[in-house]
Amino acid sequence: MCAAAGMQGVLRVTGNPGGAIHLTDGRVTAIETPGAPSPEVLLLRSQRVTEAGWDAAFAAAAASGHRMSAELIARQLVGSGELEALLRTALADAMFVLASGTVEDYRAEPGPVDVVLPLEPGAEPDELLAESSRRLRVVASLPVRSYRDQLVALADATWPGVGLGGVGFGGGQDEIMALADGRRNARDLAFALGRGVYATMLQLARMQQAGLLETAAPRVPGPARREAGRPAPGDQPQAAAWLPRRQRDLPASPRRARIPSLALELRAPLGLLRPRSDRHADSGETS
Amino acid sequence: MTEDKLLAEMQGLRDRIAGITGTAVASRDGLIIRQDTGDVDPDNLAALTAAALALAQRMAREVGQGTLREAVTRSSGGYVAIYAIGAAAVLVLLGDEGLDIARLHRESRSAVEAIETLLA
Repeated sequence: MCAAAGMQGVLRVTGNPGGAIHLTDGRVTAIETPGAPSPEVLLLRSQRVTEAGWDAAFAAAAASGHRMSAELIARQLVGSGELEALLRTALADAMFVLASGTVEDYRAEPGPVDVVLPLEPGAEPDELLAESSRRLRVVASLPVRSYRDQLVALADATWPGVGLGGVGFGGGQDEIMALADGRRNARDLAFALGRGVYATMLQLARMQQAGLLETAAPRVPGPARREAGRPAPGDQPQAAAWLPRRQRDLPASPRRARIPSLALELRAPLGLLRPRSDRHADSGETS
Repeated sequence: MTEDKLLAEMQGLRDRIAGITGTAVASRDGLIIRQDTGDVDPDNLAALTAAALALAQRMAREVGQGTLREAVTRSSGGYVAIYAIGAAAVLVLLGDEGLDIARLHRESRSAVEAIETLLA
């Protein structure tokens, strides 16, 4: 429905993390948010594209007026299929992060879209929101439920058969073990690794369940409801320290009840960029 | 005690603004006062920060653009933002590529004032 609407513009979402959703022809072509790595970060940090290659393609695209995506593909820095998959992954990840956070305000700015690497044609907003809702439900069942939880590697962590005597953990886990210093949350780790936040959260959850990581104790006392009844760090025996105590302290029901509404918070703002007739059709009105 | 409040203020900035990976407060002569820099060497950072602030302030004066608000270095892997704390100290923030610049601009001034009060 949105695809036929032909709307073009930017939806600026204020909140935490907030961001900008770019739409062309009613489809989402890019989402910029401090909460999730951009396609540029995914390409460069993962070393799929070298910095020199990126810079050369960027300069050539700027000089010629060609699209950055066309330059990257023409220079064989990335395949067209791989690039499209990466752009779709980045979009789904950014929408998930926006839906995980809070929306304080939003503003629609119809007009031309100017982003470095748009997905063309873009993704259906409804499909992105549905996928975000699915991911939020998955994340609700994980020990790492928030991308803001900071994680720390356990010094004596051993996977059965690995992690001892210099044998690596494999599967990209060594990098995470080195980076999980209690200062970084899932978002920070995703940026450092050049991976999606959602994928990082799933991996962190597996590692946490395996006893390799624990949720770091918050440094500064947070809101009272989060801290109620929480023992001081160090009060508990080490063996149980990796258990996701922080989440268990939260009353479960209000959080669960809130999850479906989070993605919905973005549904209304996205509707702003649809033409009026489309909005009426959505709300069941006939005109 | 003041130093603990200072560290709490710096860590609070890292908690509130997505993408901040480290913070430090140094004296204008480049000696570290308080650091929360993670993997980055705080002493080298303090020395470079003091020098960079002095250079940026001279640049702003030379070109007649008024008071320096911040000195920002943007690299392929992130940001370094430097702020004067009164006449005697300097705040440096390190950020990754996703640093929330908009929130940084909104919150940096009050953070600078809070740190200046703590150092007074």
